[in-house]
Amino acid sequence: MTAATDAPVRRPLAPAGGGVPLTAARLLRLELRHNTMPWLLPLIAALFWFDTYRPSTATPPYWVLRTFWNMGQGHTIIDFAPFVAGVAAWVGSRDGRRGTADLVTAAARPRWAVQLAAWAATAIWAVGGYLAFVGALFALYAHQGVRGQPPWWWVAVGAAAVLAFSAAGFAVGALYPSRFAAPLAAFGAMLAMLMSSQTGFTHTSGWAQILPTNSNGNFQADSGMLYPWLPDLPIVRTMFLAGIAVAALGLLGLPAAAGGPRLRLAAAVTVLAGLAAAGTAAGLAGTARLGPHGLVIPALHDAANDRPIAYTPDCAGGGFRVCLNPDYGSELAHVTAALAPVVREVAGLPGAPVRATQVAAKYSAGEGQGGQAMTISGHPPVLGMPLGALGIPGAFGWTDGETAGQLQLLLVHAFVGAGNGVGTPAQQAAQAALLQGAGLPFASQPNLLGSVGLPSWAPATGGPGPTTPVPATGPIYAAARRLAAMPAGPRHAWLAAHLAALRAGHVTLAQLP
Amino acid sequence: MNVELTELTRRFGHTQAVAGVTLEAGPGVFGLLGPNGAGKTSLLRMMATVLPPTAGRLRLLGRDPGGFGPRREIRRRLGYLPQNLGYYPGFTVADFVEYFALLKDMPPRRVPRAVAAAIEHVGLGDRARAKLRTLSGGMLRRAGIAQAIVNEPELLLLDEPTAGLDPEQRVAFRALLREFGQRSTVIVSTHLVEDVGVACTEVALMDAGRLVFHGTPGELVTRGEGSGAAGDAPLERGYSAVLAAARSGAAARS
Amino acid sequence: MTAAGVHSQAPRATHASAVRPGPAWLWLPWLYLVSRRAPAALALLAGCGALLWAALHWHWYVAGGPAAQMLFPLVTEAGAATVITATTYGPFGEPERATGRWLPYLRLGAAVTLTAAAIGALAVGSTGGELYGGFAAMARNVAGMTGVGLLCAVVLGGMLAWAGPIAYWVLAEGALANRLTTPWVWPARPPLDRGAAICAYLVFAAGLVLITVRGAHESVRDTAT
Repeated sequence: MTAATDAPVRRPLAPAGGGVPLTAARLLRLELRHNTMPWLLPLIAALFWFDTYRPSTATPPYWVLRTFWNMGQGHTIIDFAPFVAGVAAWVGSRDGRRGTADLVTAAARPRWAVQLAAWAATAIWAVGGYLAFVGALFALYAHQGVRGQPPWWWVAVGAAAVLAFSAAGFAVGALYPSRFAAPLAAFGAMLAMLMSSQTGFTHTSGWAQILPTNSNGNFQADSGMLYPWLPDLPIVRTMFLAGIAVAALGLLGLPAAAGGPRLRLAAAVTVLAGLAAAGTAAGLAGTARLGPHGLVIPALHDAANDRPIAYTPDCAGGGFRVCLNPDYGSELAHVTAALAPVVREVAGLPGAPVRATQVAAKYSAGEGQGGQAMTISGHPPVLGMPLGALGIPGAFGWTDGETAGQLQLLLVHAFVGAGNGVGTPAQQAAQAALLQGAGLPFASQPNLLGSVGLPSWAPATGGPGPTTPVPATGPIYAAARRLAAMPAGPRHAWLAAHLAALRAGHVTLAQLP
Repeated sequence: MNVELTELTRRFGHTQAVAGVTLEAGPGVFGLLGPNGAGKTSLLRMMATVLPPTAGRLRLLGRDPGGFGPRREIRRRLGYLPQNLGYYPGFTVADFVEYFALLKDMPPRRVPRAVAAAIEHVGLGDRARAKLRTLSGGMLRRAGIAQAIVNEPELLLLDEPTAGLDPEQRVAFRALLREFGQRSTVIVSTHLVEDVGVACTEVALMDAGRLVFHGTPGELVTRGEGSGAAGDAPLERGYSAVLAAARSGAAARS
Repeated sequence: MTAAGVHSQAPRATHASAVRPGPAWLWLPWLYLVSRRAPAALALLAGCGALLWAALHWHWYVAGGPAAQMLFPLVTEAGAATVITATTYGPFGEPERATGRWLPYLRLGAAVTLTAAAIGALAVGSTGGELYGGFAAMARNVAGMTGVGLLCAVVLGGMLAWAGPIAYWVLAEGALANRLTTPWVWPARPPLDRGAAICAYLVFAAGLVLITVRGAHESVRDTAT
């Protein structure tokens, strides 16, 4: 029935296997040149400037403070994630939208491989953009003389998050090539970021530490200055996000059109591996416990990260020497001047510190962290100051006067033996009287107590700049006024005789002169 | 034989798009004619391995496309131009052809030359760097032909390839078909009977999913002589005569 | 064999109403909405309302004061705006543009109808819960962000215009956290603030006018699912 009578000559084809990497590279190059992601990078850049860089410029020049908002609370991720997810969904839905599914399916290269090339191009642009923007941000900070060490691990978390959102978005678009795929993927990313942030506000431990914008557990006060940034939590977050990315990409290889049985089996294994990695990471995050310098995950913790960063302190002051970490060197004059009135007030009394040195702040997770107590210890007595986020003008809105007041309050608080607690009524009264003597009037003390976060016998005000002044009234302030009204000499003598009992909590309010 | 179809059937729900087609084709140009909805596109899609048959046997280039490995080998040797060509508007002509050359697992070192040759072959050499969105419909069609022939396929499947081409381009296209037909099997689905008459060595006519004619263009012409069937040209009359006979036969059977 | 068998009978003329189940003034808008996947959009808008209900009733927002309380509703409002934006473009391209006078009215009607549906869905979703700012703020935010999306659709095309409301949400979230109070970032203003309402509805009106007159930017050969 046919015209041909001779068997056709089968022309041998050049083997395809030898050129696989080169083919993949050329496919990737094509995809990179035509990807949509670069078109959104200018918009992301504008948002990055507004949401990531601009708010950070109001904070003092320390890496831990400059990056708390944008890296600690994940705003670099928030600025990228919805757009990356949306564009990736757009690219993933391309074959469905353009009617090229048959053409691509009829080609020899497995469809999964073709899709991975398209995804890889999107991811390269997205992660490259993220790293470029963060790099520019860090370069600006460095130029501005920001002190400490950059949080490199948190940059890796951000990059992994961008990768995960690109993979998830791509899978959504490829599996559901509808016009709503891109907007829904973007919306889903927004919602995920918001849930991540909000969950973090209440979950200061457990599995929720795995969420990429959970701001607990990641930025202890002296990170990168007195102690290294702990990598435990960033490692598990990176692992979690990478696992999600791998699982999402594996999903693409499951449909029948994706390729042959072995390839689809490999895709199934990929999905399982990704889920296992993510699940393992979440499990590890659940084992995190509070350490003095951040969240520690026992299975991953390297004891070397517990060792303080060696430094030669900057010191100032003639009689009362104040020594700080050189990263805080610009605060030296301010701290020395702030402490001076109190040092003069308590000079010569038992347990009065002869010098002050900065010590590392203790980590505490969650919102509304309390103030960190100073300590007086050793022979001769030395004041230990966990400056951390306190005592830094500009940090979280503190003014120079407020930070000076905080330093004075915490010194006196330690001097009267109140420690980490509120102190006994007699200690509180003595504290108030000493502060009055150092130049901090009674009227301003209740608000100051509230700003430091100490539970107060006056209503707590919380935060700087309370709108309503809190009156310095009540029996404690009455006793304080009586003590402060004494002439300096007799007051000094009374304190010298009774400080031990006062610190031990054996003095009552009625026993104050 | 490059193409061996045995009682090939394809159903979509209750609709039988292809009903027991038996066909063999070796090197040459094979025309596939038929009215709208005859099943030509479904048959072509099965031969392009993008649509599995519901029943029957299909062998392409000596291989059964049911298995992944053989199917992949078929696809490396296959060129396919669908009726509705999808494309990526931002790609240039060269990008588009190169993309499919790479997807067909062509050795990458051979790709640039093959792409250039394919683009020249369809007369788009001076538009190689033009974006697809800037091309006219006919040029797009030629770009589609270029991606189909870039790997010098042993089996070339073209669905309405001359749609949008001007007469001069159709003449050149027929010459291309004859050239490929000397060493490959070319199956062309078309409504334009003159394309079949000039370029094809064999022609098959489908109606309602069935093969109602298979022979040479001359034989199709003969069927129309003296039949009084409608048509302005001998092949058209042959076409109409065969369809009429097939339909009256089908009516008599039912 | 004669040619008689070849000639089929002339098709019977079918009455138009036998094909179209309703009057033309209803059928045309319906066809237009279906071509823009409006029924699916309505389902998604209902989903936004359900999400808002869940967020309010299960107190998904926790900390951060009024600013945080606004974030979840703002997300659902932005989501609704992106859904509406995705319905601005059609699959037909130039043949549709080269028709009579109805297309601008259809665009306007679709945008207004879907915006109203979005506001309604979110209003239903907020029943029984404490929606910060109330109905007025929600309607203002939805209208304003939809306006942003419509403007982006005119410039970028319907397929990428979703980036507009999303970007606006990021902007608003940053403004809320940093206490910026420009009326052009209306979510950061008090619920009944006149300036914010003016800005939001101005943007909405501008988006409506431009989408009505110009439609979404479309490439000639775009095909959309």
